[in-house]
Amino acid sequence: MAQVTAQQLPSAAHAEHEHSHLSEEEQNNNLKLGVWLYLASEIVIFSIMIVGYVILRINEEEVVAQAHEQLGVGLVTANTFVLLASSYFMVMGLRAMQRGNRAGMLRWIGATALGGIVFLIGQYIEYSELSHLGIVLGFDAASQWSTLGMRFYAPTFFHGAHVFVGVVWALEVLRRGAQGRYDNNPIGIEMFGLYWHFVDVVWIMLFTLIYLV
Amino acid sequence: MAEATHHEDGHHSNTVRLLRRDITVEGGVYTVVFGILAILTIIEVLSAELLKGAIHDMPEAAVLLGAAKAVILLVIAIIKAGLVIWFYMHLRDENRILAVVLLLPMLIATLSILYLLAIPPGGYSV
Repeated sequence: MAQVTAQQLPSAAHAEHEHSHLSEEEQNNNLKLGVWLYLASEIVIFSIMIVGYVILRINEEEVVAQAHEQLGVGLVTANTFVLLASSYFMVMGLRAMQRGNRAGMLRWIGATALGGIVFLIGQYIEYSELSHLGIVLGFDAASQWSTLGMRFYAPTFFHGAHVFVGVVWALEVLRRGAQGRYDNNPIGIEMFGLYWHFVDVVWIMLFTLIYLV
Repeated sequence: MAEATHHEDGHHSNTVRLLRRDITVEGGVYTVVFGILAILTIIEVLSAELLKGAIHDMPEAAVLLGAAKAVILLVIAIIKAGLVIWFYMHLRDENRILAVVLLLPMLIATLSILYLLAIPPGGYSV
C-alpha cells in the first residue's frame, strides 16, 4: 500500500507542478472562460422564458396591448436607464482598478450596487401596480389577464433575481476590494463585470420584447 | 506587452475617434458607448410610441406597421446588446472562441423559438 502511494505521489506532485506553472494570464483566461460558459447556459434559460412570452404576444395581441396601455413605459424606461448606467459604472470600476485606483474602483462598484438596488425598487413598484390591475402570477380563468401573468413574471422576476444576486456579488467585490485583494490582479472584478453586463444585455432584450414591441 | 499597450491606448485613453473626430471625455470609449446606449434607448422608446400611435390611427395598415415596429425595435435592441458585449464585456479583445460560446446557444435558442412559433395557437388537432 505504501508502495502504491509512493508511486502515485510523483504523478500527483507532477500534476501540482504543472498546475502551478499556469501563468496568471492563463489562470485568468480559464476563469473568464468559465464565466462565459455559465452565461451561455443562462442564455438558454432566458430564451425559454422569452419564447413563452413571444408566443403569447403573437397569439393574444389584444391582451398585451391592453397591458401596455395600463402600464405605460415611463417607470420601466427610467429603470432601463438605471441599469444601463450601472453597467457603465461597473466597467469604469474595472478601469479604475486596472489603473491602480482602488478608491475609484470602490466608488464605481458602490454606484453599481446602488444602481442594482434602485432597479429592484423600481421593479417592486411596477409589480405593485400590476397586482392592483389584477395581473398576478396565478391563473384565474375569469381574469382577462389570466394568460399574461406567468409569461410576464417568469422572465422579469428571473431577471430581477439575477440583479439581486449581482448586488450581493457587488457588495462582496467591495469587501474584497477594500482589503486590497484586487490590487495586483483585478480578475475578480472582471468576472463580476461579465455577469453584471450580461444581466444588462438580458434586460435590453426584455425591455424591447416585453414593454415596447 | 502588446496587449498591455493596447489596454493603455484602447481602454484607458480618454480620447476616442468617432465619426472622424477625436472626442476627449473622462472614461473614453466607455463613456461614449454609454452615451450611444442612452441615445438609442430614447430613439427606441420614441419609435415605439410613435408607431403605436400610427397603428391606432391607421388600423388598415396595422399588420405592416406592427411588423415594421418589431423589426426596428429589435434591430436597435440587438445593436445595444452588441455594444455592451463588444465594449463592456471586452469581446473585442478576447479570444474568438468566446464569441462562439455566446453565439452557439443563441443559435440553438433561435432555432427552437422558430420551431415553437410554427406550432398553431391551439396546438395540433388530430
